[in-house]
Amino acid sequence: MAIEIVMPKLGWTMEEGTLVEWMKQDGEAVHAGDIMFTVESDKALQEVESFEDGVFRIPPNSDVLGKTVPVGTVLAYITKAGEAAPFEQIPPPQPTLDTFAGSVLQQPVNEGGSKLPPPQPSPIATGEGATPNYSLPPSLVQNGKHDLPNISPRARRVAHELGVDWANVNGSGRTGRIVERDIRAAASVVPSSAPQISPVAKRAAEELGVDVSALAAQMPGQRITREHVERAALPISAPSISVPAAQNETRTPIPRLRQVIAERMNASSQTTAPVTLTTEVDATELVKLRQGLKATGQSDTRPVPSYNDLLAKLVGEALAQHPQLNARIEGDEIVTSNTVNMGFAVDTERGLFVPVVRDIRSKSIRQIAAEGVALVANAREGSLKSDDMNGGTFTITNLGMYEIDAFTPIINLPQCAILGVGRIVPKQVVVDVEAEKVAIRHMLFLSLTFDHRLVDGAPAARFLQTVKRFIEQPYLWLMN
Amino acid sequence: MREITFTAAAREALNEEMERQPEIFVVGEGIGVRGGNWGTTVGLYEKYGPMRLRDTPIVERGFVGMCAGAAMTGARPVVDCMFYDFILDSMGELINQVAKMQYMSSGRLKMPLILRGCIGIGGSSATHHSGNYYPLFTQIPGFRVVLPSNAYDAKGLFKTALRGDDPVIFMEHKSLLNTKAPVPEEEYFIPFGQAAVVREGTSATVVAIGTMVRKTQDAADILAKENVSIEIIDPRTLAPLDIDTILQSVHKTGRLLIIDETFAPCGIGAEIAAQVMAQGFDDLDAPVQRLNGLHTPTPYSPTLEAAVIPNADQVLQSIRDLLAE
Repeated sequence: MAIEIVMPKLGWTMEEGTLVEWMKQDGEAVHAGDIMFTVESDKALQEVESFEDGVFRIPPNSDVLGKTVPVGTVLAYITKAGEAAPFEQIPPPQPTLDTFAGSVLQQPVNEGGSKLPPPQPSPIATGEGATPNYSLPPSLVQNGKHDLPNISPRARRVAHELGVDWANVNGSGRTGRIVERDIRAAASVVPSSAPQISPVAKRAAEELGVDVSALAAQMPGQRITREHVERAALPISAPSISVPAAQNETRTPIPRLRQVIAERMNASSQTTAPVTLTTEVDATELVKLRQGLKATGQSDTRPVPSYNDLLAKLVGEALAQHPQLNARIEGDEIVTSNTVNMGFAVDTERGLFVPVVRDIRSKSIRQIAAEGVALVANAREGSLKSDDMNGGTFTITNLGMYEIDAFTPIINLPQCAILGVGRIVPKQVVVDVEAEKVAIRHMLFLSLTFDHRLVDGAPAARFLQTVKRFIEQPYLWLMN
Repeated sequence: MREITFTAAAREALNEEMERQPEIFVVGEGIGVRGGNWGTTVGLYEKYGPMRLRDTPIVERGFVGMCAGAAMTGARPVVDCMFYDFILDSMGELINQVAKMQYMSSGRLKMPLILRGCIGIGGSSATHHSGNYYPLFTQIPGFRVVLPSNAYDAKGLFKTALRGDDPVIFMEHKSLLNTKAPVPEEEYFIPFGQAAVVREGTSATVVAIGTMVRKTQDAADILAKENVSIEIIDPRTLAPLDIDTILQSVHKTGRLLIIDETFAPCGIGAEIAAQVMAQGFDDLDAPVQRLNGLHTPTPYSPTLEAAVIPNADQVLQSIRDLLAE
């Protein structure tokens, strides 16, 4: 029995997924543990493993590649060797010119109009009569009656083994069929002539008009991905001013991840009632704390907690005191979460990802730091799992490294609020008005965007005030 | 090594086993004092007497039925039917009783009945003495169908038949009966279901049935001079059929031709082709081909008779055509 391979449910909330790339091709042997294909869902790119041994079979009319389909949609099959796939167990094919060529072409006429001799009975006549000659005249074949050349099963198998693309191989069989020797000849002429290119990249190259072989020549030994193709599609040099505006543009299809981000942002801006509060915080004590950790951490191989890790812990404690900010709307209910699952906005080459550190209040800062480092690394490699990004209850986004002070972050649905962290910058500030005393302090802007549907301005402000207190006196949270 | 004829080799097997197994007896028309129409029992009547070499009247259904009863009750009959065409009169007994008895008795009854006789086209024997019929017997569950192509195989396979407990259809092609081959004096057995790779090659596989083994070897000799190497497989037993050896060969060569003297429809070639397509499709570099005798009653006229079976030229051309596919 063929085993159905379906779009898997890779996360708590996953309803549909996009088949990004086949890692196994039709007819290829598959073993348990092999990667069959990659799926993009909720921004995660995930590899899907086989649990079975057998032959990977993709229906010939499959159009799921690059498409978003519901969880459970049958994508492919794994069959036993020699077993027909379900899509092959169909009624006999419709009669075609091909099948009945022997009778249709009793008196075929070639392009010049002269009659070809009728097919002669084969000398391999079996007892019951002559074997009909099923060959089509070359003109018919060339006139597009056949999109692909005929190929023997063995030649197809060998082509697959040797990685030969046989679409343009000339067949030397009696009927023009590609046979094994043709494939071996093609393979020996241009060793591994077919560039290593992912199917998605191949399609992108066709859409963007990128010359794959030229691209392959630039990067020998490397597998061409969609990113390579998209980069190659960009203009090489800055066009001169005289070029008309219409040509002074590049058009690229929206990458799948950008589509997801766009949908998310759109949904957030359309459904939430966002209000942003900003406040300036004296972070001098936090800076001292971090410098202390850095100094003591030098003999330690574990990662030194970052400001984000420290802030996550402090914000987690503040949320415990203001649970209405740790909530979401679900239908006509407000769901308030008792645990804080902290999302971190991470910028990567591919786009924005928000991995989640779960139950942050139960974890030490060391643990948070260790998990944070791993999640950020995974985000940048694109190996985040869907579950790594699900279930966040609050998000921190930090633009301090880009010298940003305050901004208006967009709420990461279905969460209630997001905290924007600016840069920490030394400033001269009044520390004692009576004594008219100023000092140099490390100052930091916080920008809290919250959903006014869920929470009003005052409670949100009180939450931000708690965060501010914890930053100014980081030891306070120890009291909780 | 000494060379003896097909018939002498089979007779030697029968003699050895009759010596060893007193339960073995032979029935048939003219197999006693006369020693058989083909010399299959020459000398045995003198040695074993009329109880164990029993001439029968021309009543195939009667003596096959009696032998079936004898086999069920512990004896080991050999029915020497002279021509397989004659045994068609006993098909009811053979198919309904002999082939099915072990099944119907859940294996409590054995059926060590051996049917032997001559088949095949040749010598202007005309249509009542030229039948092959092995596809027909191969189709019936319960029979072992054995078709030796040379004296060595004839002895080894007949020995195996005489030791077993199943009904065996042992077929001796009339044009092979006097062909000689080296046959060792020592005892040997050839198991059923084990094809012989008669000749190894890499360009194409030819499964040759019975007399076609020799004709294919001749064609392969010619092709070898053109640097084409043909692998020839002689299945030796059609039931059980050693499909594994054929599949291994096709895996190597990618091309398969089945050459068989008898009719193509529903024949051995059709069966082999179907199994290879089911189990070895991805090994095929060309369509499986068959070369068969014509689907017609066998003519008496020597010229017409020669025209209905594959001749040397056709065998050679069919292999060339397969290579050109």
